[in-house]
Amino acid sequence: MNSIRFGSAAMLLLCAVCLASAQTASQEFPVQSKTLKNGMKVLVQSDHSIPNVALYIFYRIGSRNEHPGTTGLSHFFEHMMFNGAKKYGPGDLDKVMEANGGSNNAYTSKDTTVYQDWFPRSALPLIFDIEADRIENLSFDPQKIQSERGVVASERRTSTDNNNSGLLSEQLWAAAFIAHTYHWPVLGWMSDIEHWTMDDLKQHFAMGYSPSNATMVVVGDVTPEEIFALCEKYIEPIPAHAPPPPVTTVEPEQLGERRLVVRKPAELPLLTIAYHLPRTNSADFYALNILRTALFQGESSRMYQRLVDKDQLALYVNSYSPMAFDPTLEVNYAQPKLGVDPAACEKAMYEELERVKDSGITEEELQKAKNIRLVEFYRQMRTINGRANTIGTYEVFFGDYTKLFDAAKNYAAVTKEDVQRVARAYFVANHRTVATLVPENAKKEKP
Amino acid sequence: MRLRTKTAQILGAAILAWFGCAGAAAQSIHLPPHEKVSLKNGLTLLLLEKRGVPMVSFQAIVKTGAAADPTGQEGLAAVTAGLLRKGTQTRSARQFAADLDFIGGSFDANSGPDFTGVSAEFLAKDLARGLDLFLDGLLHPSFPQAEVEKLLAHNVDEVRSAKDNPQQVLGRYFSGYLFAGRSYGRPESGDELSLKRIDREAIVKFYDSNYVPGNTILTVAGDFNAAEMRKKLEDALSAWAAKKVPAVTVAAAEPVTGKRLLLVDKPDATQTYFAIGNVGTRANDPDRVAILVVNSIFGGRFTSLLNEALRVESGLTYGASSRFDSRKQPGTFGMYSYTRNETTVAALDMALDVLRKFHKDGISAEQLAATKSYIKGQFPPSIETSSQLAWTIARNEFYGLDDSEVNQLEARLDAVTPEIARQVIEKHFPADNLVFVLIGKASVIAPLVQKYAEKQDARPVSDPGFWPPPSGKN
Repeated sequence: MNSIRFGSAAMLLLCAVCLASAQTASQEFPVQSKTLKNGMKVLVQSDHSIPNVALYIFYRIGSRNEHPGTTGLSHFFEHMMFNGAKKYGPGDLDKVMEANGGSNNAYTSKDTTVYQDWFPRSALPLIFDIEADRIENLSFDPQKIQSERGVVASERRTSTDNNNSGLLSEQLWAAAFIAHTYHWPVLGWMSDIEHWTMDDLKQHFAMGYSPSNATMVVVGDVTPEEIFALCEKYIEPIPAHAPPPPVTTVEPEQLGERRLVVRKPAELPLLTIAYHLPRTNSADFYALNILRTALFQGESSRMYQRLVDKDQLALYVNSYSPMAFDPTLEVNYAQPKLGVDPAACEKAMYEELERVKDSGITEEELQKAKNIRLVEFYRQMRTINGRANTIGTYEVFFGDYTKLFDAAKNYAAVTKEDVQRVARAYFVANHRTVATLVPENAKKEKP
Repeated sequence: MRLRTKTAQILGAAILAWFGCAGAAAQSIHLPPHEKVSLKNGLTLLLLEKRGVPMVSFQAIVKTGAAADPTGQEGLAAVTAGLLRKGTQTRSARQFAADLDFIGGSFDANSGPDFTGVSAEFLAKDLARGLDLFLDGLLHPSFPQAEVEKLLAHNVDEVRSAKDNPQQVLGRYFSGYLFAGRSYGRPESGDELSLKRIDREAIVKFYDSNYVPGNTILTVAGDFNAAEMRKKLEDALSAWAAKKVPAVTVAAAEPVTGKRLLLVDKPDATQTYFAIGNVGTRANDPDRVAILVVNSIFGGRFTSLLNEALRVESGLTYGASSRFDSRKQPGTFGMYSYTRNETTVAALDMALDVLRKFHKDGISAEQLAATKSYIKGQFPPSIETSSQLAWTIARNEFYGLDDSEVNQLEARLDAVTPEIARQVIEKHFPADNLVFVLIGKASVIAPLVQKYAEKQDARPVSDPGFWPPPSGKN
């Protein structure tokens, strides 16, 4: 879903499976908040257990804000944010940061572009100098644009064209959304990667990168006072401008199942089934997460028990739903075993869903799902990096980081009836899109 | 409902304690204090208290890994590990999963070349149930025949599935081709044929002879009282009878001389994925800190020479890196990248050119200073959580290393001089003797890569196994 600047994408799924939280009052959770004069909101949490800092900047712009012809531009722009500004020229940002003990990365999703710095506290002023330089004075070197185009094309080949699940996922989203901009992939279509221009980049910068369109989160060996002082010096003087225009397109209701097939050489088939869900900041968010946990998480989950263990139809079965500003998808997926017709997996998955729709889940399953969400919360919150990402994610997708404090209460309030209700409301045949990858020229071997 | 209320209260208190605490900033990098206990049955126990986050992490190392798989039964160590949770003397696989999931716990068991790792993690409030589950899997697996058959079939398909993704299998082909049939060359996962030669009898035998107290390191880190934990574990483990400790020996492989190249044909590939390297170093190599520094400069981070050349300067790839996979005996050294079919030669030439220049130009004082600073600055988050700490001290214990790996890291980094760095390049980075493994579209790239090696091999990705080919094919 998301696309990152480099390295593994595994961690990114974490933000897709939202977190439980413990019950605690916001005033006792020591996050300090300040909104700068240019509109950027800054959230700080002190933690002196290691002499390091995690700094995230979330921009509310992603492939959702793009247009046909320049799809993937948000992600490409994310790469360009590392390729030189006024004070720190091409290559300088990474070199200077690393020489001072820091590292960085970034990721782009359909909704956001997020920059990450991890560094020892000794590098604090430098990091602010670097961030301010690129937010205010990014340069657009034609040579760098050309070489970075090659990098992104290679990224696309790796994560999509030579990756069956990436390829099928792209087709699935494109079929499930016919009007809304969630239709196209974060990385963009290859022909758009090859053709966007410097003017496109400049327009994108002007549209999305106003400080007022961003939230900064700093967690680690810092004090709120010193961070706010650094912000006043480095970030506040950067002028605000208009935010991105609203995305007004509303996906029309799907009126019947959509099916698609991808045929290519492969060892094993793949199956993905998408359902339309409401946006993240909706009342059903917590019940939907509990349902997903009960169905898919852990080897005692219903889908694992049925497809992997009992019927031995699939190598694995799982589900994700990304955080989103607009109505989004839940994608359920499985890899059928060799010799298993994907239709058999599909049938089993529907039957398990129907069982929940007919009879709900048990009290024990409900409690188990809540416990799993709680431990997930700790896993995410126990590092300065995880905490910076979580605080920022709540601020951006729920409109307020203090919603983090309500998560435990909201999960605790979910009942079996809620779970059954959302299963019935959202997981209906007319609203689903089914994509299957069928190996072509595969040997007719049986296991 | 009672449970939920209780849970919320306990966690509310824990969170306040955790976020409220503001410990003193560390002056330098140090491991928290921990204790080592040798139990009468031969087990080595390591305990590390880390308060704040209400979780407890277990990390066991059984000192036998895939290198000990019998020839023809590659994957035996991995399958044995995978079955630990698939039925015990008192729990079915399903019951184990239900008990584990109900408390949101994790239980993972995997085999690397040198050892098998079994790890688990629980909320501190669930310690009693978590400890019971962890030890049940480690000490009392029953290997039900039906579960054995299921997992073997599952793992065969997992190998096939991995072959759909070149990045997942490049390392297996590379190790296979580099070590050519010797211990470290055999796939830890097993392959489509070797897994079919494994049966319950082999698994039970492997378990009985290797999962013995004297062959095991058990580490616990997290939110507990060490004295209480020690008592609990001594009680729980007292019934685990001492047994003969297996003699696991892996012969050290000599580096490959000359050049050879394996091309794995994947007809639908639009990119070529490649590894270039040779036999690397031991985990306890006296040069290991200097190697860390020198490899960081060569291919170990974003601004490394390899990534600068292949990605940043030329846009040939999304990423290029190098890595020493260090083991008990010399492991692998490899340069890794990928590029579209048409630029395969350009990328390979460039990687080789970076290596050549590295030998010729060496490292500048500025590069050295920047790298030391980078490694020091990035290290603390690698020992931030209880599971990271448990893993760190367990690994050190396994390789015969000690706390100075962490506590003296800064001093050892400072001691790396330009002269030492030059010697490390000379001694540990291959120059003319190179093994190439490429996964790509052979019809396009085969004619282009003839020039890299006098000895060439090829096989389709869809053929079972990795390298060498099973039953004398190729």
